[in-house]
Parts: sequence; structure tokens; C-alpha cells
Amino acid sequence: MLFNSLTFIVFFIAVVALHYSVSSWRLQKSILLIASYIFYAAWNPPFVVLLWISTLVDWHVAKALDSEERPKQRNMLLAVSLTANLGLLAYFKYGGFLLDNFIALVQLAGFQYTPAKLDIILPVGISFYTFQTLSYTLDVYSRKAKRCHSFLDYALYVTFFPQLVAGPIVRAVDFLPQCIEPKRATGDQFGWGLYFMTLGLFQKTVLADGLLSSSVDKVFAFKGDAVFILDAWLGLLAFSAQIFFDFSGYSTCAIGAALCLGFVLPDNFRSPYFSIGFSDFWRRWHITLSSWLRDYLYIPLGGNRSGRRRALLNLMITMFLGGLWHGASWTFITWGVLHGSYLVAEHMLRQNYQEVKWTHTTAGRFVLAGITFFLVNIAWVFFRAGDFPAAWMMLASLFDLTGNGDLLLTTLEMTQVIVIVSSLMASHWYLHEKRLEHVVQHMAPWRVTALWTSMVIGLIIMQGGANAFIYFQF
Amino acid sequence: MPSSTSSFKTYDLKRIHPKHNWVALALLTALFSSVLIAGWEFHLRSGQYAPTLNDTKDLWASRRAIIDEEPDRTVLIGSSRMLFDLDMDVYEREIGDRPLQLATVGTNPGLYLEDLANHAKYSGTVIVGVVPGLFFAPGGPPVKSPKEHLERFKNWSPTQKFSHRVSLIIEKWFAFLNQSDLTLNKLLLSLKLPNRDGVKTAPELPPYFYEVDEERQGGMTEFAANDIALQKRIQQIWIPLFTPPPPPKGQTMAQAKSGFLKSVEATLEKTKINVEKIRAKGGQVIFIRLPSTEKLREMENTFTPRKGFWDRILTGARAPGIHFEDYAELKGFECPEWSHLSREDATEFTKRLMPILKKLLKG
Repeated sequence: MLFNSLTFIVFFIAVVALHYSVSSWRLQKSILLIASYIFYAAWNPPFVVLLWISTLVDWHVAKALDSEERPKQRNMLLAVSLTANLGLLAYFKYGGFLLDNFIALVQLAGFQYTPAKLDIILPVGISFYTFQTLSYTLDVYSRKAKRCHSFLDYALYVTFFPQLVAGPIVRAVDFLPQCIEPKRATGDQFGWGLYFMTLGLFQKTVLADGLLSSSVDKVFAFKGDAVFILDAWLGLLAFSAQIFFDFSGYSTCAIGAALCLGFVLPDNFRSPYFSIGFSDFWRRWHITLSSWLRDYLYIPLGGNRSGRRRALLNLMITMFLGGLWHGASWTFITWGVLHGSYLVAEHMLRQNYQEVKWTHTTAGRFVLAGITFFLVNIAWVFFRAGDFPAAWMMLASLFDLTGNGDLLLTTLEMTQVIVIVSSLMASHWYLHEKRLEHVVQHMAPWRVTALWTSMVIGLIIMQGGANAFIYFQF
Repeated sequence: MPSSTSSFKTYDLKRIHPKHNWVALALLTALFSSVLIAGWEFHLRSGQYAPTLNDTKDLWASRRAIIDEEPDRTVLIGSSRMLFDLDMDVYEREIGDRPLQLATVGTNPGLYLEDLANHAKYSGTVIVGVVPGLFFAPGGPPVKSPKEHLERFKNWSPTQKFSHRVSLIIEKWFAFLNQSDLTLNKLLLSLKLPNRDGVKTAPELPPYFYEVDEERQGGMTEFAANDIALQKRIQQIWIPLFTPPPPPKGQTMAQAKSGFLKSVEATLEKTKINVEKIRAKGGQVIFIRLPSTEKLREMENTFTPRKGFWDRILTGARAPGIHFEDYAELKGFECPEWSHLSREDATEFTKRLMPILKKLLKG
């Protein structure tokens, strides 16, 4: 089910009404669990079975880990969880990709092998809930967390509908304690949750889908030799803004919906486009994924405990797998490797130029933020282009100063991209050291109302066509 | 990626609520939004707009789904002329069978015909509206549109079905929900900002031109049928749409023409195969050429002359067809904007068409 659909509006009203119409906390949680399964099944009912498999495997593995002391048996149990979860992920998400690469390798060796094309449907959100359940088992395995004793709480943790299909990826240690005491949003919390939901939907429906997607699609779907340099840059900037509004919009909606139900979810974005360097960027972009990769991949690989070279290698491995997590394609891997290279380069530069004074001045920070944003955009080319020829064409167009290339964007589209991207950059600069909550707190009530009303009117008049969120495919 | 020794806490669960009276702000927002939307609705209704259903992919999918339950139903496919010009009430009264309307605006119906041909159980009558410029369109929007409609039907999720049901209810109440003309994007387009030379733009489509009901019975709006200025504006929209496009970059006109003629042969071959498949299952296919007038008819005669296109469909597929110019009773209808009949004329046209169609159905 999409947040930006009429079905969700009806569903959410019904869930909230049911949630607050009963007084038993256990019954409230049961309602939320059933609602979460309905939320997922509304897309494709049979795939709920995958959720159940993931839930049951990790529940039983964690239960066994809790009482098992023998290291070998504990490792075996962990292997069961990893095999089941990553096996499902590998089959559904990477089956076709692995087969294609195997065929390419075999053909390179001179053999002709053309098996039937795998026609696998990617279950929505599988990467998100797989990482979420895995984090629980890994925490119990490493004794960072105790196993949950309530199956209802645990099932709700895996399935909680606001963040089920596109995050934020929540840790068990953050969610399960919230299931102990009854949760009931106060009027203010509920209202603030609604404001968040409106903001998220506005980002997705009006900005990402309504005003930016046509420019992005025109530029990235272009099949000719070259796009005119201005159009190429505006198309790329439009994508940078589109993917932020799309994904941040989802997270904001999820946080808002959870608030309305009395739960708290973590932030997933903090004004990433005014980041000063790539370490800063990854503390601000898809925060729950980057912290997951840090805690369950980078640190177990050795982190920076085994010397500088090994730390940089670990960083590259982590970002390689981070790229692969986003999609089964070499272009996503290239995106991850590019970010890994940026981080490695930044670590090396920091060691040598940490004390350079101009980097700490306001002008210096603007320059560094500009360089970061520029390189983030270059990496987005590989993220958005469907294949390498399209990515090379786009890169060539971005730096083609000859004035050749096709003019693709209308004046209206160019205006929309320029206004929205400029506003986005300005807001990220303004919010670099602040939280949105603080800014809203200091706004006069009439301004909040005016802003909120404008977003509601924008949503109603845009009449979005319920397009899927980009991150659903990951 | 934060370093493992970084003290930065990337995962903070604290959430602050800005200190405002959020209940009051929410109520005020709801009030102001309602007042503004009511004003917008009033403004639209005092102009030409009235509540109407949107002709969406979901509405189409809801009609297509019936074929799986009733595989012998008569199906209408084609483009907007089939949607506007055939009155299903008259059809049902005269023939005794209510057809399913699956024609879509600006469409090459070839993919719909193929869908029915490949349907395991379909054995009904298919009436194909032919506008040669669209029927033989090798790609672009006329092919993209049916692909998207079929895709929606194949992957129609429970949530999309439910949203569609809710839409059917609310679209009957509010004129501002008209997605053809009144979305924010459409309103921004009306600014008509001048573009740089060489920028290709999507063809402008007529405003508030047609409406459909839940069964997808289409028809020209009363506004379009009576407003001469709008009719003249729509006529000017048809001219570029019915003019062959310039050759693609890097191709001469002769090369583009040769490519088009090859695709015509491919379309004829595909049509023949699909008609045979439907016949083999006990069904039948009848082609219909619905009226167009004045300059548009002249353009069609120039760019897609009857001999090279319409006649070849019938001979190639060995299928019956009705061309409006072959029957005195079907000639002489006036299309207000050269391409479609008004609702009143569509009813009369269907009445006159039915005896001719009956003979073919019997045959």
C-alpha cells in the first residue's frame, strides 16, 4: 500500500480509530499487527508468506541463541538466520543479476549457455525488513540485546506498517521497549504526526512526482548522442532533488504515522545536501542504513582497529555492498564504489590537511559543501542511469562545452527545477545545524497554519497518481 | 560512513514536539483548506466544469477484468472515436448484448487486439475502431498508452482496486478532481511560457473535451459540443497531431517513409494473425471506420489513403468492415471539431449503424 493513495487514507483512519477504540494494550498491538499484514498484502498478498518466514526464523533462532552457550552451536544458529534471510534476498533480488553475470562469464570462456530468463518479482521492501530482522538476531548473537519474550511484540517490530517497506530501518533495542508500556499519542503528538505526514506526502507527491519527475525522465530516458549541457545538469539536479524528496518524504510520512499511533521512529535524513564532506553526508543521508552498515558490516570487518589500510579497505567493502543493497546492477555497485572512493579520499585528505585554516571559515565550508554536492551528483548519474551507455552519455553531456546536444526541457520545467533545487539547497544550508522541530517551534502559529494549509492545497490540486516510491524497488 | 571510533551518534530516537497547540493548528488548517477548496470548486462550477469521472487506467482495468468472467462479451477497441461515437445503450437495445468499452484516447488498438487474441478463453466479437494514423502508428504515445493500460490490468493490486473504488465515489462529487485539466501541472501549463527553439513539447490536448461513466461510455461534453471557440481551438490541435512527424534525427524523409511502410506491413501481418486467433476460438472481428470531416478528413485522405490502409486491413485479415463513407445513412454527420460526434449525433449514428452491423454479425 502506498502512503500517497486513497486506500491508505481510508486504511489509516480505520487503524487509528480501532487503535484508540480499545483499551487493552495487547489488543491494540494485535490490531496494529493485523493492520500491518493487510498493509503489506494490499500490494501482493502471497508475499506476506516471506514476511512470516523471516519473522519465524529469527524468532526461533534468537530464542535458541538465548539459551545456547556453546560457540559452535551459536555460530550454527546464526548461520541458519543468515542463510534464510540472505537466501531469500539473494533469490528474489539478485537471482536474475547473478544468472546474467554467470552467463556472461561462461560465454567469455567460450561456452554458449542461454538458460530460460528468470522472471522473478521483487517483493516490496524485502531489503528493509531483512536488514531489520537480521539486526535483531545479530544483536542477540553478540549479546548486545536480550531476546524478546513476546512473539506479538517481536512480530510487530518486524512488520510495523509505517516503516515496513522503506524504512527507517529500526533496531529491536529501540522498538521493542516501546511495546512494553501502553502507547497513546497526546493531542499535540497526534497533530504533529499529521503535520509530518502532510510534509512527507507533499515532498513525494507535489515535489518529487509532480514537479520534478518529468525533467528527470526526459533527460535520463534520452536515447540520442548527447543532451545539451544545461539540460543535462538540470536533469541531474532534478534527480538529486527528486530522490531526496521521494525517500525523505516516505521516511517523514512513516515517522508521522508512527507518532499518531504513539510510537517513535528515528530520523532518516538531516539536510544532507549541505554536507561538508562524505562522512558528514552519510551521517545525514539514509541514516538508519548507514548506521546499520557501520554496526553490522564495517565494524565486524575490523572497522579502523587494524590499521589505516585495512580501515580503508573495510570502508570500500562496506560501500560496495551498500551499493549492491540498493539494486542488483553494476551501475548501483559503481555508485557505491564511487562513494567508497570519496570516503577513502576524504580520510586521506583529512589526515594531511586537517589543520588548513580556510576549511574552517564560512567561505571554506561553502566551498567544501559545493564540492561534496557536486561529487554526490556525479555518483547519482550511475544510480539513475539504467545502464552504463546511458551513464556515459549523461556524463559526456554534463561536460560537453561545444554547445551540441539536444534541448529537452521546456522553460516551465527548467523554472521548476531551478526554483525547487535552489530552495532545497537553501533549506539544507539553513537546517545544517538545526532540527526542523526547533525551526517550527519558533515559527508563529499563523505561519505554521499557512504553511500547512499550502501543503494540503498543493496535495489536493496536484492529485498525484499514486506513483510508487523510488526506494520500494530496493 | 562514520568511523567506528566516531563519537557522533547517528541513530537518535529522541523526538521533540514543537510547542504549539497542534490540535488547534490542525483544525484551523482543515478549516482553511476546506474553505479554499470550496472556493475553487465554486469557481470551476460557475465556469464550464461539472463533476466527471477520470478516464484512468484503473477504470479501464475494471472493464478489462470482466472479460475473464465473461469471455464471450462483445468488446469495443480503438481510439477516442470509438469511445465517443458508439452509444452502448442503443447497441444493447438493438443487438441484445451490452459491449465492453475498452477503446482509449489516442491509441493504436493493435495491442488490445493481441491481448484478446492471446486470451485463453476469449471467444466474443471484437469491434475495432480504425483511425489509420493511430492504427498504423509504430510507436510513441499511441503504443505507450495501451501498453500502460494492459500493464495496469496485469499488475492491478488490491490497493489500486480499492483506491479506484474510492475515486469513483468522490469524483462524482467534485469538479476540481478532473485530472485532464485541473491538476497543478495542467494549470501550470496554461502559463504557456515560451520555449527555446528546438525543444519538443507534448501535443496540447483539448480541455474539458469528453467525459466517461463507470462503464466507460464516453461522450463529448456539452461545453465542447456547443462552444464554437473551443471547437476551433480543438481543430487547430488536430492538425499537428494528424500530420506525419518529421524524420528522426539522422534519417532522410525517404528513409523515414521506407521505415514507416515496413512497419505498416508488420502491423497488417500482426492484425491478420490476431484476427485468425480470435476466429479459431469461435469469435469474430469487425473493423469500423467512424466519421471525420472537413480538413481532418482531407488530411487523412492525403496521409493515409483508404486504398493503402483501410482496404488493406480488411483484405489482409479477411475480416468484415464498415466504412462510414460506404453507407448513405452513415454519411453527412457533422463533427463539431472535425473528429468526433456530439453525444446526440453519436446516438443517432449508432441507431443507423446497428442494422448494418447486425447483418455482419449474422454473417
